Amino acid sequence: MLATRLRFVHPTRVIFHHTQRTIHTTMRIRSVIVLLPIALLAPVACERARYVDTGSPEGVITVGNVDMQDILKASSGMLESLAETGVLKTAKNKPAQLVMGEIVNDTSSRFDVGEMTYRMREQLVNSGQAAVVTTFGNTPEDKQAQEVLRREKFLKGETSEPLPDPDFSLTGKITQVKRSAGDTKQVTYTFRLTLTNLRSGLEVWTKTVDMTKLGNKNAVGF
Amino acid sequence: MICTTNVTTTKSSAHRALRATTVATFITAAIAVAGCGSVNTTYTRTTPADSAVAAQTRVNDLFQQIFLTAKEVRMNRTKGGPMEVQIDVENNGFAYKTFSYRFDWVDTAGNVIPSQLSVWKVTNVPSGGSTVIRAIAPSDDASDFRLQLRQSES
Repeated sequence: MLATRLRFVHPTRVIFHHTQRTIHTTMRIRSVIVLLPIALLAPVACERARYVDTGSPEGVITVGNVDMQDILKASSGMLESLAETGVLKTAKNKPAQLVMGEIVNDTSSRFDVGEMTYRMREQLVNSGQAAVVTTFGNTPEDKQAQEVLRREKFLKGETSEPLPDPDFSLTGKITQVKRSAGDTKQVTYTFRLTLTNLRSGLEVWTKTVDMTKLGNKNAVGF
Repeated sequence: MICTTNVTTTKSSAHRALRATTVATFITAAIAVAGCGSVNTTYTRTTPADSAVAAQTRVNDLFQQIFLTAKEVRMNRTKGGPMEVQIDVENNGFAYKTFSYRFDWVDTAGNVIPSQLSVWKVTNVPSGGSTVIRAIAPSDDASDFRLQLRQSES
């Protein structure tokens, strides 16, 4: 009886083992099918941090924000236009004295306008095309330097104001126009700068640089 | 015999139909490929401009060279003093091309003039179309330039 049971049980076990093995094999195949694409895509998804040139096309491109590439392109476009027109060479002072006025960021993208203006200043001042007056007006960029100037003027007995005699004032505005069609978004950022002759009060130079981006998600450039 | 003839006729009809379908498919595909954002360009100038200069290109990406070609390079002095370069870039491929470019300016000694004007800029050219990429030198000292061009992989 026992032998019969054993004999009876044994094939069942074999069949059971065989079924279990088949299930294991099927599961293994399924796992490979599921994991293989993940394994192949893993190097793409896990991109290691690396250095890229600032403003390089390899950088991140966003649809809803002003990127570093946009700022560099805008400042470059402005500088090219200033050099091309030669407006700074028409100034009374050599090099032209420039006052940085207000440049309004009227976009939903938060960034410091100085990212653009300081790059422009660097180029203009270091190449000797212009000198930026940082001690002008009621809200000077360098309050301490203005105080020192005033003190020296006072000690010399000079009362006429002000010591710096700037030629131009630079003002501007950055705006955006957003549109969408389905999931696709389009945004145009417009950088506008204006140079005003402080002696005549007239606009002597103006430039617009547009940047239009289209897409439905942010991406890494090429 | 009639039957065979009929069969033969049917076969040739089928072949003709297949051939016609194939030709139609090819024509449609060609129209579709050429028609997807391609541009027809008309221009009056047939000889190089007076300000056109000879340029040398070092090709590292043959694919890029085949489809994106610099047709003419012009250099002028601007009203403000610095040099201006204009390059006509043509897209001879069947697809919309996006590429980025950067100009580096050099002085008479051949040294690069570092400037905030040398930045990567991105532009697009539709199939069969052309665009003019231009740059202004950062100072009057710049006498020559170098252009780097990178094509998008997409």
